[in-house]
Amino acid sequence: MKVAELTRMPKVLGAGLGTDDGFIIDSQFTVGYDAEKSAAMAARVVNRIKTSLGVEKASAILYTRNNVFFIKETDAGIYFVICQKDANLGLIKIKIDKLT
Amino acid sequence: MSDDLTMDSGALIFATLADVYLSSGMIDEAISILQDGLSRNPTYSLAKVILGRAYYIKGDIEESLKVLEGNYEELKGSENTNLYIGHCYKKLGEFEKAVEYYNITLKINPENKDANQELKVLVREPKQVVTEKSEEVAKPVAKDEEEVVEESAVTATVDHAAVEIAPPLGTQEVVEVQPEPVAEELKKVAAEPKPPSVKEIPEPAREEKFEPTPEPVAKAEVQKAPESAEAVREIEQPVVQEEQKEEVISEPPAVKETVAQEREKVEVGEPPVDIFPLEALEQPIKRLLNMKAVKGAFICSKDGLLIQNYYEECRDIELISAMIAAIHNEAEESFKFLKDGSVEKFIIDKIEYPICVITAGESLLTVVTQPEAKPGLVFVYARKIIEEIREILG
Repeated sequence: MKVAELTRMPKVLGAGLGTDDGFIIDSQFTVGYDAEKSAAMAARVVNRIKTSLGVEKASAILYTRNNVFFIKETDAGIYFVICQKDANLGLIKIKIDKLT
Repeated sequence: MSDDLTMDSGALIFATLADVYLSSGMIDEAISILQDGLSRNPTYSLAKVILGRAYYIKGDIEESLKVLEGNYEELKGSENTNLYIGHCYKKLGEFEKAVEYYNITLKINPENKDANQELKVLVREPKQVVTEKSEEVAKPVAKDEEEVVEESAVTATVDHAAVEIAPPLGTQEVVEVQPEPVAEELKKVAAEPKPPSVKEIPEPAREEKFEPTPEPVAKAEVQKAPESAEAVREIEQPVVQEEQKEEVISEPPAVKETVAQEREKVEVGEPPVDIFPLEALEQPIKRLLNMKAVKGAFICSKDGLLIQNYYEECRDIELISAMIAAIHNEAEESFKFLKDGSVEKFIIDKIEYPICVITAGESLLTVVTQPEAKPGLVFVYARKIIEEIREILG
């Protein structure tokens, strides 16, 4: 349900919730994007941040050439959102923060 | 000049700028500006006068005459035009014509000290100047010493006039002083009360660069006695080589050094050629660090080695840089797995201090911010400086 709220936002390509070991709990993705891979990636990055920087709940935004990945660790799991680069990143971030 | 009133503001600007360049010794730049400006404002008389003066200062007498005499009909009412034409003819050794133009100058402005002074010199040593040039080669050294005394006296006088009337000409006037007056004449002149020393003359600030202050000192050294045989020989050179040798006299090594230093000062704006790459990083990074929300920054390679640290508060900077690189590499690997390109930048939302990381070639620029920092703003700034860093680090 929460994931659906995220994917309703413009230029969001997909969103999901995964566990810290990379399994999918919930996801909604447009065609061409692999939710499982994304969840695995999110878990990998979160774990690396946690071990490297010693933060309790990791959160990161990663920019690639075309897309932007939001990753946020919560008590429920790791939320991850993929959107286009020209999406309103601030709005998406607020939405993720509210959900968590 | 009356035509000053008719010119447009653009013309005024280029002529003023050229005049500033001239007074700073940037003669070629002044000529370039004037030529360009005159191509757009061909009727701008004042610029032509300045161009003529610029060529004269450069030593291109023919070109100077071409400009000034070529537009003489238009410029004949100008005091400076006639003065510089006089200077040119004097330099060419055509003293009668020089006198003629100095007289015209004085008709326009009877108080023109420069023209008065030149006329005084030329009339006082009328034809002797010409005739004695050929005899000068055989003169004994002792007489040459007297000549130097005379020359210095005259140059000081001319300098004085030049400072008051036409400042940028100061140095050139020293060069063009008529040498080889007869011995009696020399003694008379030497006996005459000397004009105030050049040191006492309040020179305008803009004159300083063009006519470096050590010059009077150098002249004074020559005035005492030419110390080396070379100096004496330089004075004894025949008239044909007069100009070159006079330049040697008027520009001793000390003066040349000073001129070189002055030119260096003018070129201060240019970046140093052999700046070490890491030193070059300082400026863009400092602009970033000036932001209130930025706590510090550091640059590390993608394999985690610290390149440059601008985050003095952090004691474990090497550890953090290694960790940042590890996170980056982890994300990079993940994105490869997703076939979604490589990581350009990322933000780690650490509660105490959010971290923004931007890739710059094979390096990572990490900016540690305050919790209230706006990451968008940090990225905007970082994006600007990142290009500079990319160029530096490759």
